[in-house]
Amino acid sequence: MAHVTDGLHRRGVLKGAAAGTAAALAGFPHIAGAQAKVIRIGMPTILSGRVAILGTSSRAAAQLAIKQFNEAGGAGGRTVELVDRDSKGRPDEAAKVTRDLINNDGCEVIIDAEASSGSFAVQEVIRDLPVLCVHTCSETSSLTADPKIHVKTAFRCARQGIHDAVAGGKYASGISKTKGLKRWMTCSPDYAYGRDNTAEFMEFAKKFDPAIEVVDQVWPKLFAPDYTENLTKILQVKPQAIYSALWGGDLVTFIEQGNLYRLFSNFDFFSGGLGDGPVLTAIKQLPPGMNTAYRYNRFYPDKPGNLAFAEAYNKLTNQEPTNWAWQNSLACQFIFEALKRTGGKTDGAALAAELKGMKVQSPFAVEDAITMRDTDHTIIGYPVAWGRTVTKLPYVEGFSPVAWSEIIEFETQWKASKGYV
Amino acid sequence: MDLQALAGCLASTSCAVTQASTGLIVGMLLFLVASGLSLIFGVLGVINFAHGAFYMLGAYFAFTAYAVTGSFALAIAAGALGVAVFGMVFERLFMSRVYGRDILMQLLVCYAFILILDDAVRTIWGAEYRMMGMPDAFALPPVEIAGGFIPGYYLFMIGTSFAVAVLLWLGINKTRFGKVVRAAAINPQMVAALGTNTTALYAGVFGVGSLLAGMAGALAAPIRTLTPGMGLSILIESFIVTVIGGMGSIVGAFIAAVLIGFTRSFGSIGFPLFVDGLMFGMMALVLVVKPSGLLGRPAT
Amino acid sequence: MMPRIAPAYRDVILAGAGLLALLLLPVLFPHPALRDFVVYVIAYGLLAMSLNLLVGFTGLVSFGHAAYFASGAYVFGLLMQSGQVSVPVAMLAAVGGTALLALAIGAICVRLQEIYFAFITLAFQMFIHSVILTWVGLTGGDQGLRGGIPRPPFLGIDLNDARTLYAFCVVVFVACMLVMRQIAQSPFGYTLRMIRDNPQRANFVGVNVPRVKLAIFVIASSIASVGGIVLALFVSGAYPDFAFWTTSGEAIFMIMLGGTQLFIGPLVGTVMLQALNHYVTILTEHHGIVLGSVILVFVLGLRRGLADYIHDWAMSRRIRRAAPDQREAPRDKLA
Repeated sequence: MAHVTDGLHRRGVLKGAAAGTAAALAGFPHIAGAQAKVIRIGMPTILSGRVAILGTSSRAAAQLAIKQFNEAGGAGGRTVELVDRDSKGRPDEAAKVTRDLINNDGCEVIIDAEASSGSFAVQEVIRDLPVLCVHTCSETSSLTADPKIHVKTAFRCARQGIHDAVAGGKYASGISKTKGLKRWMTCSPDYAYGRDNTAEFMEFAKKFDPAIEVVDQVWPKLFAPDYTENLTKILQVKPQAIYSALWGGDLVTFIEQGNLYRLFSNFDFFSGGLGDGPVLTAIKQLPPGMNTAYRYNRFYPDKPGNLAFAEAYNKLTNQEPTNWAWQNSLACQFIFEALKRTGGKTDGAALAAELKGMKVQSPFAVEDAITMRDTDHTIIGYPVAWGRTVTKLPYVEGFSPVAWSEIIEFETQWKASKGYV
Repeated sequence: MDLQALAGCLASTSCAVTQASTGLIVGMLLFLVASGLSLIFGVLGVINFAHGAFYMLGAYFAFTAYAVTGSFALAIAAGALGVAVFGMVFERLFMSRVYGRDILMQLLVCYAFILILDDAVRTIWGAEYRMMGMPDAFALPPVEIAGGFIPGYYLFMIGTSFAVAVLLWLGINKTRFGKVVRAAAINPQMVAALGTNTTALYAGVFGVGSLLAGMAGALAAPIRTLTPGMGLSILIESFIVTVIGGMGSIVGAFIAAVLIGFTRSFGSIGFPLFVDGLMFGMMALVLVVKPSGLLGRPAT
Repeated sequence: MMPRIAPAYRDVILAGAGLLALLLLPVLFPHPALRDFVVYVIAYGLLAMSLNLLVGFTGLVSFGHAAYFASGAYVFGLLMQSGQVSVPVAMLAAVGGTALLALAIGAICVRLQEIYFAFITLAFQMFIHSVILTWVGLTGGDQGLRGGIPRPPFLGIDLNDARTLYAFCVVVFVACMLVMRQIAQSPFGYTLRMIRDNPQRANFVGVNVPRVKLAIFVIASSIASVGGIVLALFVSGAYPDFAFWTTSGEAIFMIMLGGTQLFIGPLVGTVMLQALNHYVTILTEHHGIVLGSVILVFVLGLRRGLADYIHDWAMSRRIRRAAPDQREAPRDKLA
């Protein structure tokens, strides 16, 4: 893994080292001038502990995008470099690190690759220090949907819980109607994202198929090492279908332990997190026919640009891209486009004005462009689709998309019900 | 609270058997980790807070051994013995220097090793999720017992852990070595004066304790995802087990581990959201009523 | 002869000098990152300093001190988000609420001896941590208090201005340090040391040991809550991590890094850990290996905190310098 950090990052590190030494000697002098030739983009993220893969894959994708951007000549004569820093998954540390990146390292743009709670902390920093900030990993809808939390220079370039819920509910209801799946159960991690995501998924599933009934819900802890008690509970309840918002290593454990009970042939399984490369490859015996939301897939959207991204990423990291990887790659695309339009000026308000409503041609778009919606600073037009698992690469096939017009219609209703609009 | 569901489950044999087996599955791995923690405390008087990191090491050692050799037996051996050796080196080079010192110094040495080992594992094995894979020998449908289902691998795991528990008990209570160990726990100076090499004894006991953690990690590797930092939650739970059972008591650790396992398994039926709170509540209650734990020697 | 200054006055003068120095710091080095650093040190410094009232002065090893740090942050943040109260009222309520919480928990904990005290404080901390996680409606669960903590101006003080916020935190910090210093130097403070060194003796001379332990437990927790308030003001939020055992672990680490014997030791440790953390995280992502190695060097090499080490070294030098005089003195008498 260490070689991933070569190139741009290593240079960043050396500069950081020089900066650190200088700061240690003379307090905290300002190092980067207001219009240095190189634009520094700061990335607070998680590089240690159980979700370190979030940080390593976000960073790799951003570095890849930056390398291509610099090779193409940058914007307004300025190139870009990435300064990443580990928040260790602690929100207060994320706030401090972000302030440091802006105040001390002279970062003029922030790509916030923090998990949900960290992204809320970063949002508050941006309220104070209004540089352009793009959140790339938080899927919690309220970050951009709630006007109380809105910050003028902060954007989200990531999938969002409510979009997934509408698409998932729609997809699941189609299957439940044809197969007559009435008795549902949920098994999701017991934390804000797991609970919200599950509630929203079931709400929409029931809206589209009123025959659905949730007969039981189990809530294992986030990062629980063992799911046997939940699996045997499922054995007792005997549901016809299960929805799970488990993700990452937790989901890998859940499926492998469920395999021991030959559990997954008994019901239809709907997963919000299974469609991610590292999860699919970590599972030794992937049961076929599981339904999963799109996270990332090199063959969907079926475009040469997408495949090229997957291959370049794979060359760099020896892994399949993660959901976080494409989101960070796309965020870079948005930022670079804005920089081009401002001629390399990095003023937060100016960049934000460009980003509002911006459409970029992206290999990740279901149609041909992904839009940064001007009203709530979040992306639409990205892939929200569901597919089914197969035992061979690329592990998930048969993606069936849900029309964005429909997603937005229900999203608007949902926002109204929450009092956000 | 759904006590009706709990009563219903207890009334049906199939549910009761399945949930009881769940309790044992969860409890037995906990016992392996907790008994090592307890043994080390009982004899050496130190709390090895790095025990969770040792469990992680065991899992990763087994993962690599299995990937290289394809032999499950060798994977378990690599996990258990590898960590035992590591534990002895750790004891000799680091832990032994803080014996008899402030408990905070011991805590800090362990804390340092948690940081170092988590970082080292991430550097060596990467940050991605790892799964060792189930050996073919266990790729069987779950065994049916009285209407309840238990996967073959779990039967093996419970059996192995139980055998280890019996061996530990026999080793401590029926052998000469066990006599010395028990004596050293009470009066180390006297044991040393009688000609036993306490340095070797301490390293040996630390090694056995580490072996248990490594073995638990290796047994968990086919069924639990390997990530850096995976030792954290197991450390907390085994710590609760050790405190409830009584620091230094192997039998106590066994009883408490089964107790926690059953609280988890039947709790998930009766009061699913309160299981965690209940565990800390039980720990606090035991500390208030009998600080030395269910079977621990009262503090002198 | 020098006029003798009463220790209390000397402390006040020192505190005034410290206050002045901290307030002048951003004027001399007008860089926001330095201010951030100092505020961070203040927040964690109060946590470490107050924990040392228990660990260093009373011999009560608490593994659960961060619970009160978090309680201060949460009560303060929730009150401010309600929009009903001003900053000082919310602060007083947060400190008072934490004191009550500590009184209830402490009453159970102080009855336990040595390591069992450590265990039960840990158990209560984890219990509070799981309450924060579970009570999503009030605390926001794992996402913490979202949407920022408002800082409406009071008495002409506007904490939305970063410089004012800094000055406010510095004043609060120096006040807390002065309080702790007075406690340490008071007869009560010496009772604490007696309990640490010889609880039986304290009991024989008529000290109500559990009651004194409970008193210092409540005081230390209240001061820790001030640290939590400072951090909540700074990051404009409160998060469950504040109450996690790793935060308590870090506080212990700061104490041991700086030293337990000198009053100022834990603060030295806080500065060291925060600076280490700051620079090591910048330099390498392998901060776990680096930090872990630094801890080992301290524990196994110095065998005590840095402040204690320097103090001991200075003392031994003074004794060595004084020693020849003493040796000569009797000879003079003989002659």
